[in-house]
Amino acid sequence: MGGGTGRAPVTGDDGEAVLAAIRTRRVVRSMRPEPVDRPVLEAVLDAARWAPTAGNRHLQRFVVTDDPGVLRVLRAVSPGMLQHPAAAIVVCTDRALAAGYGFPPGAPGLFVDVGTATATILLAAHALGIGAGPVTSFSHAAVSVVLGLPEGLEPELIVCLGHPAPGGPAPMRGGRRLSWRDLTTWVPPQD
Amino acid sequence: MDGSTEESQAWVLDENEALELLGYLITAARTQVDEAAEYGPLRLLTVAHRLADRIVPRASAGTARFVTGPLAQVPELAVPRDGRAEYVARLDELCRAVAGLLSDRWAAGPDGPR
Repeated sequence: MGGGTGRAPVTGDDGEAVLAAIRTRRVVRSMRPEPVDRPVLEAVLDAARWAPTAGNRHLQRFVVTDDPGVLRVLRAVSPGMLQHPAAAIVVCTDRALAAGYGFPPGAPGLFVDVGTATATILLAAHALGIGAGPVTSFSHAAVSVVLGLPEGLEPELIVCLGHPAPGGPAPMRGGRRLSWRDLTTWVPPQD
Repeated sequence: MDGSTEESQAWVLDENEALELLGYLITAARTQVDEAAEYGPLRLLTVAHRLADRIVPRASAGTARFVTGPLAQVPELAVPRDGRAEYVARLDELCRAVAGLLSDRWAAGPDGPR
Protein backbone atom coordinates (compact mmCIF):
# COMPACT_ATOMS: atom_id res chain seq x y z
CA MET A 1 0.00 0.00 0.00
CA GLY A 2 1.11 3.58 -0.20
CA GLY A 3 2.07 5.66 -3.17
CA GLY A 4 0.13 8.79 -2.18
CA THR A 5 -0.49 11.41 -4.81
CA GLY A 6 -0.09 14.37 -2.51
CA ARG A 7 -3.76 15.21 -2.17
CA ALA A 8 -4.53 17.68 0.58
CA PRO A 9 -5.31 16.01 3.92
CA VAL A 10 -8.79 16.19 5.42
CA THR A 11 -8.83 18.96 8.00
CA GLY A 12 -11.13 20.94 10.25
CA ASP A 13 -14.78 20.00 10.38
CA ASP A 14 -14.31 17.37 7.68
CA GLY A 15 -11.67 15.67 9.77
CA GLU A 16 -13.86 15.72 12.85
CA ALA A 17 -16.73 14.24 10.82
CA VAL A 18 -14.53 11.36 9.69
CA LEU A 19 -13.41 10.66 13.25
CA ALA A 20 -17.00 10.88 14.49
CA ALA A 21 -18.08 8.34 11.87
CA ILE A 22 -15.28 5.99 12.95
CA ARG A 23 -16.24 6.31 16.61
CA THR A 24 -20.00 5.92 16.18
CA ARG A 25 -20.10 3.04 13.72
CA ARG A 26 -21.47 -0.19 15.16
CA VAL A 27 -22.18 -3.64 13.77
CA VAL A 28 -25.91 -3.66 13.04
CA ARG A 29 -27.63 -7.00 13.64
CA SER A 30 -31.25 -5.88 13.45
CA MET A 31 -32.59 -4.33 10.27
CA ARG A 32 -35.96 -3.15 8.99
CA PRO A 33 -37.33 -4.89 5.89
CA GLU A 34 -37.66 -1.89 3.57
CA PRO A 35 -35.16 -1.82 0.69
CA VAL A 36 -32.03 0.27 0.47
CA ASP A 37 -32.22 2.65 -2.47
CA ARG A 38 -29.99 1.70 -5.36
CA PRO A 39 -28.20 5.09 -5.44
CA VAL A 40 -27.24 4.53 -1.82
CA LEU A 41 -25.88 1.07 -2.62
CA GLU A 42 -23.98 2.53 -5.54
CA ALA A 43 -22.49 5.22 -3.32
CA VAL A 44 -21.28 2.53 -0.90
CA LEU A 45 -19.74 0.57 -3.76
CA ASP A 46 -18.09 3.69 -5.11
CA ALA A 47 -16.52 4.23 -1.70
CA ALA A 48 -15.27 0.63 -1.68
CA ARG A 49 -13.12 1.19 -4.73
CA TRP A 50 -11.15 3.80 -2.77
CA ALA A 51 -10.10 1.26 -0.17
CA PRO A 52 -6.34 0.74 -0.09
CA THR A 53 -5.17 -2.42 -1.83
CA ALA A 54 -1.73 -4.03 -1.80
CA GLY A 55 0.22 -2.75 -4.74
CA ASN A 56 -2.92 -0.96 -5.92
CA ARG A 57 -3.80 -4.27 -7.60
CA HIS A 58 -7.54 -4.27 -6.84
CA LEU A 59 -7.92 -8.02 -6.63
CA GLN A 60 -11.29 -7.81 -4.88
CA ARG A 61 -14.63 -7.84 -6.63
CA PHE A 62 -18.00 -6.96 -5.18
CA VAL A 63 -21.09 -9.05 -5.87
CA VAL A 64 -24.27 -7.31 -4.77
CA THR A 65 -27.85 -8.37 -4.35
CA ASP A 66 -31.02 -6.81 -3.04
CA ASP A 67 -33.22 -9.62 -4.34
CA PRO A 68 -35.35 -10.98 -1.47
CA GLY A 69 -35.15 -14.58 -2.69
CA VAL A 70 -31.38 -14.53 -3.07
CA LEU A 71 -31.03 -12.87 0.32
CA ARG A 72 -33.18 -15.56 1.91
CA VAL A 73 -30.94 -18.28 0.51
CA LEU A 74 -27.80 -16.41 1.51
CA ARG A 75 -29.06 -16.22 5.09
CA ALA A 76 -29.96 -19.90 5.12
CA VAL A 77 -26.39 -20.88 4.22
CA SER A 78 -24.71 -18.29 6.44
CA PRO A 79 -24.86 -19.27 10.12
CA GLY A 80 -23.24 -15.99 11.10
CA MET A 81 -25.94 -13.90 9.42
CA LEU A 82 -28.19 -12.96 12.32
CA GLN A 83 -29.83 -10.00 10.67
CA HIS A 84 -32.38 -10.01 7.83
CA PRO A 85 -30.57 -7.69 5.42
CA ALA A 86 -32.24 -5.67 2.68
CA ALA A 87 -29.10 -5.95 0.59
CA ALA A 88 -25.75 -7.67 0.73
CA ILE A 89 -22.34 -6.97 -0.72
CA VAL A 90 -20.20 -10.08 -1.03
CA VAL A 91 -16.53 -9.17 -1.03
CA CYS A 92 -14.79 -11.65 -3.31
CA THR A 93 -11.19 -12.22 -4.30
CA ASP A 94 -10.34 -12.85 -7.91
CA ARG A 95 -8.05 -15.80 -7.24
CA ALA A 96 -7.10 -16.21 -10.88
CA LEU A 97 -6.00 -12.60 -11.08
CA ALA A 98 -4.13 -12.99 -7.78
CA ALA A 99 -2.34 -16.07 -9.10
CA GLY A 100 -1.33 -14.06 -12.13
CA TYR A 101 0.51 -11.67 -9.81
CA GLY A 102 2.23 -14.62 -8.14
CA PHE A 103 0.15 -14.82 -4.97
CA PRO A 104 0.06 -18.37 -3.59
CA PRO A 105 -3.35 -19.60 -2.39
CA GLY A 106 -4.03 -18.33 1.10
CA ALA A 107 -1.54 -15.47 0.90
CA PRO A 108 -2.37 -13.18 3.85
CA GLY A 109 -2.15 -10.01 1.78
CA LEU A 110 -5.30 -10.98 -0.06
CA PHE A 111 -7.24 -11.14 3.21
CA VAL A 112 -5.82 -7.81 4.34
CA ASP A 113 -7.34 -6.26 1.24
CA VAL A 114 -10.69 -7.89 2.03
CA GLY A 115 -10.44 -6.22 5.42
CA THR A 116 -9.66 -2.77 4.10
CA ALA A 117 -12.52 -3.03 1.60
CA THR A 118 -14.88 -4.17 4.32
CA ALA A 119 -13.89 -1.40 6.73
CA THR A 120 -14.44 1.15 3.99
CA ILE A 121 -17.86 -0.30 3.13
CA LEU A 122 -18.92 -0.28 6.79
CA LEU A 123 -17.90 3.34 7.24
CA ALA A 124 -19.46 4.45 3.96
CA ALA A 125 -22.76 2.80 4.87
CA HIS A 126 -22.68 4.45 8.28
CA ALA A 127 -21.99 7.83 6.69
CA LEU A 128 -25.05 7.34 4.48
CA GLY A 129 -27.29 6.37 7.40
CA ILE A 130 -27.40 2.69 6.54
CA GLY A 131 -26.68 -0.07 9.02
CA ALA A 132 -24.08 -2.65 8.09
CA GLY A 133 -22.74 -5.84 9.58
CA PRO A 134 -19.97 -8.13 8.34
CA VAL A 135 -20.47 -11.89 8.18
CA THR A 136 -17.60 -14.34 7.80
CA SER A 137 -19.36 -17.49 8.95
CA PHE A 138 -20.91 -18.86 5.78
CA SER A 139 -20.39 -21.78 3.45
CA HIS A 140 -18.16 -20.51 0.68
CA ALA A 141 -19.25 -23.39 -1.53
CA ALA A 142 -22.93 -22.70 -0.99
CA VAL A 143 -22.62 -18.95 -1.45
CA SER A 144 -20.77 -19.53 -4.72
CA VAL A 145 -23.73 -21.55 -5.94
CA VAL A 146 -26.31 -19.03 -4.74
CA LEU A 147 -24.58 -16.16 -6.50
CA GLY A 148 -23.50 -18.11 -9.56
CA LEU A 149 -19.89 -17.09 -9.07
CA PRO A 150 -17.47 -18.08 -11.80
CA GLU A 151 -14.54 -20.37 -11.11
CA GLY A 152 -11.75 -18.46 -9.42
CA LEU A 153 -13.94 -15.84 -7.77
CA GLU A 154 -13.88 -16.66 -4.07
CA PRO A 155 -16.45 -15.18 -1.68
CA GLU A 156 -14.52 -13.99 1.38
CA LEU A 157 -16.94 -11.87 3.42
CA ILE A 158 -20.54 -10.70 3.29
CA VAL A 159 -21.56 -7.22 4.35
CA CYS A 160 -25.24 -7.08 5.28
CA LEU A 161 -26.93 -3.74 4.67
CA GLY A 162 -30.25 -2.36 5.81
CA HIS A 163 -32.01 0.35 7.73
CA PRO A 164 -31.17 -0.12 11.41
CA ALA A 165 -33.94 -1.37 13.65
CA PRO A 166 -34.07 -1.31 17.43
CA GLY A 167 -33.44 -4.51 19.34
CA GLY A 168 -31.54 -7.47 18.03
CA PRO A 169 -29.32 -9.91 19.85
CA ALA A 170 -27.11 -8.62 22.61
CA PRO A 171 -23.42 -8.28 21.75
CA MET A 172 -21.26 -11.35 22.34
CA ARG A 173 -19.34 -9.54 25.03
CA GLY A 174 -20.23 -6.56 27.12
CA GLY A 175 -18.23 -5.04 29.86
CA ARG A 176 -15.50 -2.46 29.76
CA ARG A 177 -14.73 -0.77 26.47
CA LEU A 178 -11.07 -1.08 25.56
CA SER A 179 -9.10 2.12 25.23
CA TRP A 180 -6.39 2.66 22.68
CA ARG A 181 -3.90 2.34 25.51
CA ASP A 182 -5.11 -1.19 26.21
CA LEU A 183 -4.26 -2.12 22.66
CA THR A 184 -0.98 -0.28 22.27
CA THR A 185 2.63 -0.90 23.18
CA TRP A 186 5.15 1.89 22.83
CA VAL A 187 8.73 1.13 21.91
CA PRO A 188 10.69 2.17 23.89
CA PRO A 189 8.21 1.91 26.79
CA GLN A 190 6.56 5.16 27.93
CA ASP A 191 6.08 6.10 31.55
CA MET B 1 -50.45 -33.30 28.08
CA ASP B 2 -49.00 -36.43 26.48
CA GLY B 3 -47.71 -37.00 22.97
CA SER B 4 -50.86 -38.50 21.57
CA THR B 5 -53.22 -35.58 21.58
CA GLU B 6 -54.26 -33.91 18.37
CA GLU B 7 -52.69 -30.64 19.52
CA SER B 8 -49.30 -32.17 20.19
CA GLN B 9 -49.16 -33.63 16.69
CA ALA B 10 -49.91 -30.36 14.92
CA TRP B 11 -47.38 -29.15 12.36
CA VAL B 12 -45.36 -26.31 13.76
CA LEU B 13 -43.02 -25.78 10.76
CA ASP B 14 -43.79 -25.54 7.07
CA GLU B 15 -41.34 -26.88 4.49
CA ASN B 16 -39.74 -23.50 3.79
CA GLU B 17 -39.12 -22.91 7.47
CA ALA B 18 -37.67 -26.36 7.89
CA LEU B 19 -35.41 -25.88 4.88
CA GLU B 20 -34.03 -22.64 6.29
CA LEU B 21 -33.04 -24.48 9.45
CA LEU B 22 -31.68 -27.41 7.47
CA GLY B 23 -29.50 -25.05 5.46
CA TYR B 24 -28.26 -23.45 8.66
CA LEU B 25 -27.36 -26.77 10.27
CA ILE B 26 -25.54 -28.15 7.25
CA THR B 27 -23.53 -25.01 6.58
CA ALA B 28 -22.80 -24.51 10.27
CA ALA B 29 -21.21 -27.97 10.32
CA ARG B 30 -18.85 -26.76 7.63
CA THR B 31 -18.12 -23.30 9.00
CA GLN B 32 -17.43 -24.66 12.45
CA VAL B 33 -14.44 -26.59 11.09
CA ASP B 34 -12.67 -23.25 10.61
CA GLU B 35 -14.11 -21.30 13.51
CA ALA B 36 -13.16 -20.89 17.14
CA ALA B 37 -14.40 -23.70 19.34
CA GLU B 38 -16.39 -21.24 21.46
CA TYR B 39 -18.62 -20.66 18.44
CA GLY B 40 -19.94 -24.23 18.67
CA PRO B 41 -22.46 -23.63 21.46
CA LEU B 42 -23.16 -20.16 20.08
CA ARG B 43 -24.25 -21.54 16.72
CA LEU B 44 -26.41 -24.17 18.38
CA LEU B 45 -28.09 -21.56 20.54
CA THR B 46 -28.69 -19.40 17.50
CA VAL B 47 -30.45 -22.20 15.66
CA ALA B 48 -32.40 -23.07 18.81
CA HIS B 49 -33.67 -19.50 18.92
CA ARG B 50 -34.52 -19.58 15.22
CA LEU B 51 -36.41 -22.83 15.62
CA ALA B 52 -38.20 -21.43 18.64
CA ASP B 53 -39.19 -18.27 16.77
CA ARG B 54 -40.65 -20.40 13.99
CA ILE B 55 -42.61 -22.84 16.09
CA VAL B 56 -43.98 -20.62 18.82
CA PRO B 57 -46.96 -19.26 16.84
CA ARG B 58 -48.29 -22.81 16.28
CA ALA B 59 -46.90 -24.61 19.31
CA SER B 60 -48.85 -25.84 22.29
CA ALA B 61 -49.11 -23.64 25.34
CA GLY B 62 -46.47 -25.61 27.24
CA THR B 63 -43.94 -25.41 24.42
CA ALA B 64 -44.67 -21.73 23.92
CA ARG B 65 -44.05 -21.13 27.63
CA PHE B 66 -40.68 -22.84 27.35
CA VAL B 67 -39.44 -20.98 24.29
CA THR B 68 -40.66 -17.59 25.49
CA GLY B 69 -39.41 -18.23 29.01
CA PRO B 70 -36.29 -20.24 29.79
CA LEU B 71 -34.96 -20.29 26.23
CA ALA B 72 -35.58 -16.61 25.58
CA GLN B 73 -33.55 -15.76 28.67
CA VAL B 74 -30.38 -17.28 27.22
CA PRO B 75 -28.73 -14.88 24.78
CA GLU B 76 -28.18 -16.45 21.39
CA LEU B 77 -24.72 -14.89 21.11
CA ALA B 78 -23.48 -15.97 24.51
CA VAL B 79 -20.03 -17.54 24.54
CA PRO B 80 -18.28 -19.35 27.38
CA ARG B 81 -15.04 -17.33 27.37
CA ASP B 82 -16.23 -14.74 29.89
CA GLY B 83 -17.52 -16.53 32.94
CA ARG B 84 -17.45 -20.16 31.95
CA ALA B 85 -18.99 -21.41 35.19
CA GLU B 86 -21.95 -19.03 34.88
CA TYR B 87 -22.34 -19.95 31.23
CA VAL B 88 -22.41 -23.66 31.99
CA ALA B 89 -24.82 -23.15 34.88
CA ARG B 90 -27.16 -21.20 32.61
CA LEU B 91 -27.12 -23.93 29.97
CA ASP B 92 -27.66 -26.58 32.64
CA GLU B 93 -30.71 -24.66 33.82
CA LEU B 94 -31.98 -24.57 30.25
CA CYS B 95 -31.37 -28.31 29.93
CA ARG B 96 -33.42 -28.90 33.08
CA ALA B 97 -36.21 -26.77 31.70
CA VAL B 98 -36.35 -28.65 28.40
CA ALA B 99 -36.25 -31.95 30.27
CA GLY B 100 -39.21 -30.80 32.30
CA LEU B 101 -41.11 -29.83 29.18
CA LEU B 102 -40.43 -33.17 27.51
CA SER B 103 -41.28 -35.10 30.66
CA ASP B 104 -44.57 -33.29 30.93
CA ARG B 105 -45.39 -34.32 27.38
CA TRP B 106 -44.04 -37.85 27.18
CA ALA B 107 -43.07 -39.40 30.47
CA ALA B 108 -45.21 -41.10 33.03
CA GLY B 109 -45.22 -39.45 36.40
CA PRO B 110 -45.61 -41.17 39.78
CA ASP B 111 -49.37 -41.01 39.38
CA GLY B 112 -49.44 -42.48 35.90
CA PRO B 113 -49.27 -40.93 32.45
CA ARG B 114 -49.24 -37.15 32.47
